[in-house]
Amino acid sequence: MGMEVSLVEPRTARAAARRWLAALASLKLTLVFLALLGAGVVATYLGGAGSVWLLVLPLALFAVNLGCAVITNGVFRRQTALLTFHLALLAIVLLIAAGRLTFLKGQLELSTGETFRGDLTQFESGPWHPSRLAEISFTNHGFAIDYSPGVKRNQTRNTVSWNDESGRRRVAVIGDQQPLALKGYRFYTSFNKGFAPLFTWHPARGPARRGTVHLPAYPIHEYRQSREWTLPDTDVAVWVMLKFDEVLLDPARRSEFRVPREHTLVVRAGAERRELKPGERYMLPQGVLVYEGVTTWMGYNVFFDWTMPWLLAAGLLAVASLAWHFWNKFAARPWER
Amino acid sequence: MAELQSLWAALLAYVAAGTVAIIAVAMGRRPERSVLALITAGLVLHTASLALRWVRVGYGPFTTLFEILSSNIWSLLTVFVLACWRVPAVRPAAAVVMPVLFMMMGWLLVTNPGEGHLPATYDTIWLYVHVATGKIFLGAVLVAVGLAGLVLLRAVGVAARRFAALPEDAGLDELAFRFMVLAFIFETLMLIAGAVWAQDAWGRYWAWDPLETWSFITWLTLAFFIHLRVTLALRPRLGAVMIMAVFVLAFLTFFGVPFVSTAPHKGAV
Repeated sequence: MGMEVSLVEPRTARAAARRWLAALASLKLTLVFLALLGAGVVATYLGGAGSVWLLVLPLALFAVNLGCAVITNGVFRRQTALLTFHLALLAIVLLIAAGRLTFLKGQLELSTGETFRGDLTQFESGPWHPSRLAEISFTNHGFAIDYSPGVKRNQTRNTVSWNDESGRRRVAVIGDQQPLALKGYRFYTSFNKGFAPLFTWHPARGPARRGTVHLPAYPIHEYRQSREWTLPDTDVAVWVMLKFDEVLLDPARRSEFRVPREHTLVVRAGAERRELKPGERYMLPQGVLVYEGVTTWMGYNVFFDWTMPWLLAAGLLAVASLAWHFWNKFAARPWER
Repeated sequence: MAELQSLWAALLAYVAAGTVAIIAVAMGRRPERSVLALITAGLVLHTASLALRWVRVGYGPFTTLFEILSSNIWSLLTVFVLACWRVPAVRPAAAVVMPVLFMMMGWLLVTNPGEGHLPATYDTIWLYVHVATGKIFLGAVLVAVGLAGLVLLRAVGVAARRFAALPEDAGLDELAFRFMVLAFIFETLMLIAGAVWAQDAWGRYWAWDPLETWSFITWLTLAFFIHLRVTLALRPRLGAVMIMAVFVLAFLTFFGVPFVSTAPHKGAV
């Protein structure tokens, strides 16, 4: 009696598992999951970024459905091209998931002559991002941008330099469609750029320090070229404003981004207000602030995602296999009489 | 200006072609060669107009609503003429396709033909790949719409005598399905090319901006339609209705979202 039970039960369990797999492999379920994914996309679009599970859940269900179909459906397995298409779709989903776990997206700003040493102004990254930013450095050597009439921006040409793996100095011009790629990170120039007054701060005690203050992006914030900042190692708040009369980007003709030839820098600390020319000093109880002149800063976007070439390959494989599948399937012409 | 005169002449040829196609349905005639000849003549004039403008402004028809409408009328008709050439069974669909294009031509006539500005992010080969695959995608959907329209017209008893000579509903449905599959393949290519372009233009390959989101929803709808047709034995009339729905979604994505959204998909940053 006991012998009979031990033989029958596994067979029943296997049959039940097969039934479950067949049910999960249903093409009708695929339709439901596609509809769920569509609804999830619309809900995420309308509801903001907080509803990522509305995308992840239908994609996971779709993956289970596809996996079960591959296991149970012999006809599906025999259609190599169709199978390849679906496996490529699955690979895309898995690669996107891997990318989200390891990506980095951030921003940084560099004045002309300044070197990037791994510090970002803001960023977001996946929990498993293998941060190697500290190993990267490059220097911004300034940029050129010309504008068409109507202040329409054309190509950005930003000269940068860095040392390659062998220590050799390399120079390149990056810009729209041409990022700087270092150790898997891609640095893109952005439309954010502007003026940067250069100062030397001589504190009453201690060594002098040199640095820039990045004014709001130009020309987007053309009429708001001011910023408040704090002198190094003090609690003295200083407000500065770049003041110039010349039209830098003329809406009526072609022009090029440049620093103003004639300008003054309005500086205010507490109740005192001064207008400084390059080379002039501003005396404070805590030290002396020397205005050296105005230069520019460039904003960069940085992006890291090792999955990108694989995603492209999987996408192209999906298209090619789908085309191959239907090419074979569409040999007959039933509409011809 | 020669480019505008050439465009108006092209539109007149298209209107003549569409009118002949529609009247022929009512009269029970099949002047398909005349319709195709008129459309082809219009395409020649239209090509000249687009080329003249391209030479004058220094960039292709990619930025303003006028340019996008004009180039899409051209590409949709080019795809339709090529389909008619390769698959003669498509030809009667002109009576359905042309009224759709009349709507776009009317929109074009009230649009400002002034120049735009080619954003710096448009200076890439991916622009051409993305736009070309997108135009083939929409053209293929339009051909399917024409065939689906024939199925639906026959269902409501319009021009029964004229349509009696056409293939059965099942044949038209199969043909329309094939154009939808072609559309699916080219929309996938369009999305891939767009992602490659977006990566280098904006530093991200996908950001769920309105145009990306609605393009993906269109892709999902197409995938749903193809799966539905393969999974269930859809009746041709229901299939035809679904094709119309996909077209409406694709059309609104192409011509609605870019002009109501302020997201930077147009590259104007």
